[in-house]
Amino acid sequence: MKQLNEVIKEVAAQSLSRGEVDLVIGWKKGDLWWQSYPAFVEGDEGVADLIWDPFCVPNLSRYLLEELDDKSKVAIFVKGCDALGFNQLLQDKRVEREKVYLYGIPCDGLVDPRKLEAAGHKWLSEVRRDGDELVLVSKEGEQRVKARDFMYDKCLTCRYPNPVTYDQMLGEAVEAQPQERFAGVEELEKISDDERFEYWARQFSRCIRCFACRNVCPACSCRECIFDIPEPRWLGKAKELSEDQFYHIIRAYHVAGRCVDCGECTRVCPVDLPLQELNRKFIKDINELYGEYDAGVDPETEAPLVTYNTNDPAAFTES
Amino acid sequence: MSVSAEEQAFEPLIIVFGCNWCSYAGGDLAGTSRMSYPPNVRVIRVPCSSRVSPNFVLRAFQRGADGVLVAGCHPGDCHYVTGNYYARRRLSALRRFLEFIGIEPERFEVHWISGSEGAKFAKVMGEVTEKIRALGPNRKMRDVR
Repeated sequence: MKQLNEVIKEVAAQSLSRGEVDLVIGWKKGDLWWQSYPAFVEGDEGVADLIWDPFCVPNLSRYLLEELDDKSKVAIFVKGCDALGFNQLLQDKRVEREKVYLYGIPCDGLVDPRKLEAAGHKWLSEVRRDGDELVLVSKEGEQRVKARDFMYDKCLTCRYPNPVTYDQMLGEAVEAQPQERFAGVEELEKISDDERFEYWARQFSRCIRCFACRNVCPACSCRECIFDIPEPRWLGKAKELSEDQFYHIIRAYHVAGRCVDCGECTRVCPVDLPLQELNRKFIKDINELYGEYDAGVDPETEAPLVTYNTNDPAAFTES
Repeated sequence: MSVSAEEQAFEPLIIVFGCNWCSYAGGDLAGTSRMSYPPNVRVIRVPCSSRVSPNFVLRAFQRGADGVLVAGCHPGDCHYVTGNYYARRRLSALRRFLEFIGIEPERFEVHWISGSEGAKFAKVMGEVTEKIRALGPNRKMRDVR
């Protein structure tokens, strides 16, 4: 990973100095060891800040929506999930392929700082990836732990660690080792309607409606969002269970069939709602009813809910 | 413990989104043929079953519906040729999802009723009303303000 860290600086400096792109979107280190933030580099001065480390989790493709407005060409770094998100934006005709240069980064899973913290690894100065292990650097010295124990849950179920689309691939492709991604949904399907209602009511009632899940989502790219428009005001302002239900059902429904299952919604949620389970319920049902479909893999295909077959099955009795 | 007035005489409220070309006409036929169906049913006319956005369904529940029914043309008979094919996919996904959230699936139904099926319209409305009456009032997704 150290190596890749140098490569991204090189390619960014190159394309900027040659004038091939106006902007490079990558990641830079935040103030603390577990923070890696999006970086927007327009000239040589920012290039040295660019990094690739086990915390580079923010999906950069979504930033193209704003950046492409006044730029003729933008380069971004994409992990496997970011590339799916990019393809989704392409499919939704929200970005133009010619205006973007993609540096693909094979990603072997990113580290959830909260899992480290829960295991007592709190005051670190750096975390490095070395093969299947993480090197935790602190004042006391270095410690090696198994990387998979500290990866984001969404990374444990990742099926596309290598970008599905790119202009230039940086680094060697890695092997996907996905766990079953519908396990959580299946657990919930087993319990009774009332228990499920209690579960989700408890979850939804914690929502502070910050809309972070919407704002981060590569499938939520409408210029005007139904939750923002004043007339008709679909979503009330009151903190009331039925309004929370409305928000979460409609948010998940609006990305149904287009959700690339990148799990960013769950990651950014400040109150830890298991939002990915909602999206996965739709993915699972659509797969069962209308055939396997992986959003973001091929931008030329049609999303399952904007098309039909005359002999489709239904989830209600047809008579 | 006293029984609330609501429980004493629970009359379900059922909102039907009826497609203008088939099911609404089916309802008309039921009326002009002097067939009776429960007065618990309130029909809202929509241009096509695919016009029914999940927003409508959820809003109906929020504002006091105990059951919501979408009625459209039979697949293949859509006035707009393909509208109900889209509706079938979307409403299927929505129905399964509502169940996942904990809403009893019986509370959200989809039926295909043509303009000549006045008897079917009356029969479906009767069945749905009885099902919801047995299920009791919707307390899971109701705006309590």
